Amino acid sequence: MSEVARFDGFSYRYPESEALSLNQITLQLGEGLTLLTGASGSGKSTLLRSLNGLVPHFHGGQARGRAWILGQDLRATSTRRLAREVAMVFQEPESQFVLATVRREVAFGPENLGRPAAEIADRVEAALQAMGVGELAERRISTLSGGQRQRVALAAALAMRPRLLALDEPTSQLDDAGADSLRRACQRLAAQELAVVVAEHRPWRVDSPGSRRLELSHGSLTPALGSKSGLLPLPRRPPHPFGPSAWELSELVVGHQEPVAAGINLGCRQGEVLCLTGPNGSGKTTLLRTAAGLLRPLSGSVDRRPGRCAYLPQEPGGVLHQVSLVEEVRQTIRWLKLDCSPWPMLEEFELSSLAGIDPRDLSTGQRQRVALAAVLVGSPELVFLDEPTRGADPNSRQLLLRVLERLAARGSAVLVATSDTQFAHQIGDRVHELAGGQLRERDERAA
Amino acid sequence: MNPRALAIWVAAVLLLSLGSEDPFLRVLTLGAALAVLLVRRRAGTRLRPALLAVGVAALLTVLFNLLLSHTGQNVLLELPGWLPALGGPLTLEGAAYGLDLALGLAACIVAGISLSLIVQPHQLVDSLPGLLSRTGAALGAAMTLVPRLGHSFLAVREAQQMRGWRPRGMRSWTAVVVPSVLTTIEGSVLLAEAMEARAFGSGPRTALATSRWRAPDLVIAATSSAAILGFVLALCLGRVPAWQPYPTLTVPALSWWPTLCCLGLFIPALLP
Repeated sequence: MSEVARFDGFSYRYPESEALSLNQITLQLGEGLTLLTGASGSGKSTLLRSLNGLVPHFHGGQARGRAWILGQDLRATSTRRLAREVAMVFQEPESQFVLATVRREVAFGPENLGRPAAEIADRVEAALQAMGVGELAERRISTLSGGQRQRVALAAALAMRPRLLALDEPTSQLDDAGADSLRRACQRLAAQELAVVVAEHRPWRVDSPGSRRLELSHGSLTPALGSKSGLLPLPRRPPHPFGPSAWELSELVVGHQEPVAAGINLGCRQGEVLCLTGPNGSGKTTLLRTAAGLLRPLSGSVDRRPGRCAYLPQEPGGVLHQVSLVEEVRQTIRWLKLDCSPWPMLEEFELSSLAGIDPRDLSTGQRQRVALAAVLVGSPELVFLDEPTRGADPNSRQLLLRVLERLAARGSAVLVATSDTQFAHQIGDRVHELAGGQLRERDERAA
Repeated sequence: MNPRALAIWVAAVLLLSLGSEDPFLRVLTLGAALAVLLVRRRAGTRLRPALLAVGVAALLTVLFNLLLSHTGQNVLLELPGWLPALGGPLTLEGAAYGLDLALGLAACIVAGISLSLIVQPHQLVDSLPGLLSRTGAALGAAMTLVPRLGHSFLAVREAQQMRGWRPRGMRSWTAVVVPSVLTTIEGSVLLAEAMEARAFGSGPRTALATSRWRAPDLVIAATSSAAILGFVLALCLGRVPAWQPYPTLTVPALSWWPTLCCLGLFIPALLP
């Protein structure tokens, strides 16, 4: 196995940060698949960014120690040079798009490599097919769902045909079919003696025989246990009684201008957790927003009982604007004139020790937890969550499960739109799948 | 529209709106900028938030100059002297000069907005000459600022409303404006980072879709270049009228030469 990257006592600190984000990393990376795990904020994204030189060249900060990527000294080689052989997909793929349509976006990388036009066309076609988005080629990026965007971002990286591919939470918004496509693509690359490094909270979704597991904790590498506990069936919420109807959708047609789903009849009772799954682009977000009253139905009716409505958008970062976590939660309490303290909610999400930190200084997964704490504080009667486990590590998922269980036990009606089917089956009293414009029930455990 | 032709037109608008303080020329320049934006903007683009921002910026400019200049002979109102900075006479001349500044500022902003609302940001990046390719990442990020800000504003307002936020006076809007701006800036930085990571500017680039020059584009480029050259020449020859509202308001003079240059800026709105 030939060496692709080598770190020798490499440490890195972001500008204006007191803590080291990478601490004395000593590591050899070879061809094949390497899975990088660790809690939110442990340094996974930073380590991936060091593989193409964004750390330290783009971000600045202080780097110590030595690192070589594809034989080139990291500290002496620019990102642009490394990027010709190292491709990366970021944790928030929607932020990395430059061009307007899918085909042009996927071609952007090979265009930058100066490849001949005919070869670029071949590469684009192959990458689109590999990620199962061939039919989206002429679509505008702005019309795609979160999961579809993630697939396009992955196709764009594959089209660069890199020697080293770094993927940051690549399945966070992918449905099962998308995750399978990615696993196959990773296996293919690994078989071609290329290196693929994947930071992933659900590593079993991309794992394959012969992969290597690394674990980061507080910026340091720790011995990976190699556990695949995620594959084991997780405990499900015991059945429990529900209250009267909280909301009801009747003969609903939803969409922005064109219908994306029709004939929707769905209701949720107090104390019930309803999960909405389905393929990427099936209209989960549109249906959730319509149920929450944020989008007018094209036809049909939405009946909601009066009460406080809590809503977590798919991109929750925009909610956060206070100078500290505790102030962020306190802000909701002030606006809604709630009679409660922010601390129990921060403790439930294990954020108390970070209470004084600016939310924007946190990792994506940690920000998600803060946004959840900020919208769920108090006891909302109606809860609407869009991809709440996006970027969440296993511990954060467990914390969210506990909070939702508590809310449901107090009578909240919860609707979760998610591509995380495992989470849906774990927390949902009922799981509905939206596919092909139709809604059908997947699982009913309680009457 | 060819992005290079558009860039020349934008340069002409900026020069003509900043190169003279004559309010008549500034009205013409702003009119041309608005006409071209309205006629040539891409289908599906939202103009309202951008024009609202221009209106607010213009209004603030007039207000600031009116409240802070205290110069001029036609006094409209006298504010008590104990008011720091604001105390003193508010004059018609101060308001008129503020309006003149606002016209120039509005023309510049509308021209800048046109870059992201008439062509796609990537068209501008693609059309950069090879020597400027290293600035492409910054340009690409900057060009997405306005549309990103609009999208972000709507999303943040919606999310904050669901947390109980209600608009109650100017200060309450900070809960929407601050996260909108921060999210937009973060998004633009991420885009610049992603462009680096995707080898933009790392060497010779193959552009699959180059913007072709059509006959109307050539006309726009030619008339905009003529407007630039004509205006610079008029400046050098002292043919651009100076306008000074202080100490007494005067009617701006008319000069056919720079006026003709301004009229040339309407051409893109008239072509197919």
